[in-house]
Amino acid sequence: MSAQDGVVVRDAHITFGARVGLRHVSLHVRAGERLALLGPSGVGKTSLLRAIAGLDALASGTIIVNGIDLTNVAAERRGIVYLHQSPSLFPHLSVQDNVGFPMEIRGATRRDARKRAGALLERVQLSAFAERAPSTLSGGQRHRVALARALAASPSALLLDEPFAALDPELRSDVRSAVLALLGDERAPATIVVTHDIDEAVSIAHHVAVLLDGSVAQHATPATLLAQPASLAVARFLGLPNIIAGVSDGAGVVTSPLGTFASALVAGPAVLVSRADALRAQHVPTYQVGISTHGLPQAHIVAVHERVGGIMLRVRIDAHELSAVPIDGASFAPGDVVALHVDRARIHVLSNTT
Amino acid sequence: MTREDNTPYHRVLVLSLGVITLAPILVLLVRASASSWRYPALVPSQSVHDTWRTLLFTPTIWSALATSVLLASLTGVLSTAFAFVAARALARATPTARRVAAAAAFLPVIAPPIALGVGVQVFALRAGLAGGNAGVLFAHLVPASGYLTLFFLGVFSAYDFAMEDEARTLGASSLQRFVRITLPALRPRLIEAMLLGALVSWGQLALTLVVGGGVVRTLPVELLAFVRTGDDRLAAAAAIILTVPPALAFGMLQGGVRQSGVTA
Repeated sequence: MSAQDGVVVRDAHITFGARVGLRHVSLHVRAGERLALLGPSGVGKTSLLRAIAGLDALASGTIIVNGIDLTNVAAERRGIVYLHQSPSLFPHLSVQDNVGFPMEIRGATRRDARKRAGALLERVQLSAFAERAPSTLSGGQRHRVALARALAASPSALLLDEPFAALDPELRSDVRSAVLALLGDERAPATIVVTHDIDEAVSIAHHVAVLLDGSVAQHATPATLLAQPASLAVARFLGLPNIIAGVSDGAGVVTSPLGTFASALVAGPAVLVSRADALRAQHVPTYQVGISTHGLPQAHIVAVHERVGGIMLRVRIDAHELSAVPIDGASFAPGDVVALHVDRARIHVLSNTT
Repeated sequence: MTREDNTPYHRVLVLSLGVITLAPILVLLVRASASSWRYPALVPSQSVHDTWRTLLFTPTIWSALATSVLLASLTGVLSTAFAFVAARALARATPTARRVAAAAAFLPVIAPPIALGVGVQVFALRAGLAGGNAGVLFAHLVPASGYLTLFFLGVFSAYDFAMEDEARTLGASSLQRFVRITLPALRPRLIEAMLLGALVSWGQLALTLVVGGGVVRTLPVELLAFVRTGDDRLAAAAAIILTVPPALAFGMLQGGVRQSGVTA
């Protein structure tokens, strides 16, 4: 695998009229890898994807696929397939003919194209729908057909623009499974998925690039992104629920209401960020309230949120409101006092200026 | 019809509408099929067959029919091609450009045909087209293109251009996209447009007379001649010939609309 393998975007600039949308964007996605482009609405994610596909032009920058500079090559000759949020199946063709379309336009006979299309439909478990009209399919089925059709073009890269956004939760999981099943091996094309859903990005991508304020704010694996956001802005965008102020003494120690943490920050204000499960709450017996609980900080429960993934507690410590998860199966109520077990390895310390 | 719509007042209104729209057609049918049989004649002086025989053996009727069919066909095809291309380009233009173009397309639609004819005739005279089929064809294309540009602006406002983008990234050239995606996807609308364009030409009288100068004889021109001579039975029979094709076209359009699932 060479350094030029897959899709390389170098120093891309995208403008919206007179306004600069994205600047100095550089990305590299290798064959078989999936990169999620994450960012708020309007930051330019779709524009970047369309520019990579060749449907729109870059203001400046270079797009290289498998070592070949495609910046000025027409979209139909790039070998990069772009799928819209709502896949546009051709209404006048059957499902099988839709999937066979890329092969037919490359000169395959209709018979051969349909044969290979049949095999691809099997991979997305839609063989039974081969002769159906696209209009008779559900949203999830349409996505799976579009994916099969995209792979029929044997692309070097696959660009998925918000592929799950228009689907309800059940179909979303269905399509996500189809994406992972189809693009789960090394022979799969380099894939870039645009999304503004963090959970979606981390669940399907090998790497995530966060676009904030017109540039790549962080490019990391999902685990690194969530555990060590590069800046306060990234942490806020990711929606990390625990952002708490601290002070660095410049000698390697940051002090905060959650305790002290080692850090190489210079002296000055610092910020500690974490996911909710870095703080685990345990009931404090009434007689121990206000008394040291083995050095654990105490907090008051402000609210108890029932969620699909489990109970989430909002707790107040000093002037900070944080999120925590229960350490045991006990029931909690607002006003209860809890001791917080802090998973220190999962608390990330940032300079307050980043 | 809901209960509220089924009052006597509403029934009278619906009946009136039916009478207003169908009465002229019924009169045509009656006049074209009635025999001339006036008191005190014991037998009809002229049978239904005589009316139709006279009409069908009038040599100018057949050449007028051929001219009308030719002009309508060419108008349908050419105005559809022009309007399709223009509206497609405008659909992806800025909203301001679309509004200006829609207003421009409205002009030949709202302008009285006689006024339009005067303007077109000036051009036709300078181009040496006046008094010939080419000039009349050009004249018919003006309102037809206006109608169809508006028609296609509506079509393209609902058209999924993303489909063509995806076809493009799947490797389809512009010709392949046009032939294999755009044309088949819009085939019903194209057929409707050609029929509408043909109908605009088919019934056109003022433009034909002004630009054709009476030399170009279409069915409406022949019909006018029958009306002028006062032979209302022949005029009615010719009017029926003039009405049947639009009625058939309307039936086809309705069928197309039902098949496409669009409801009024």
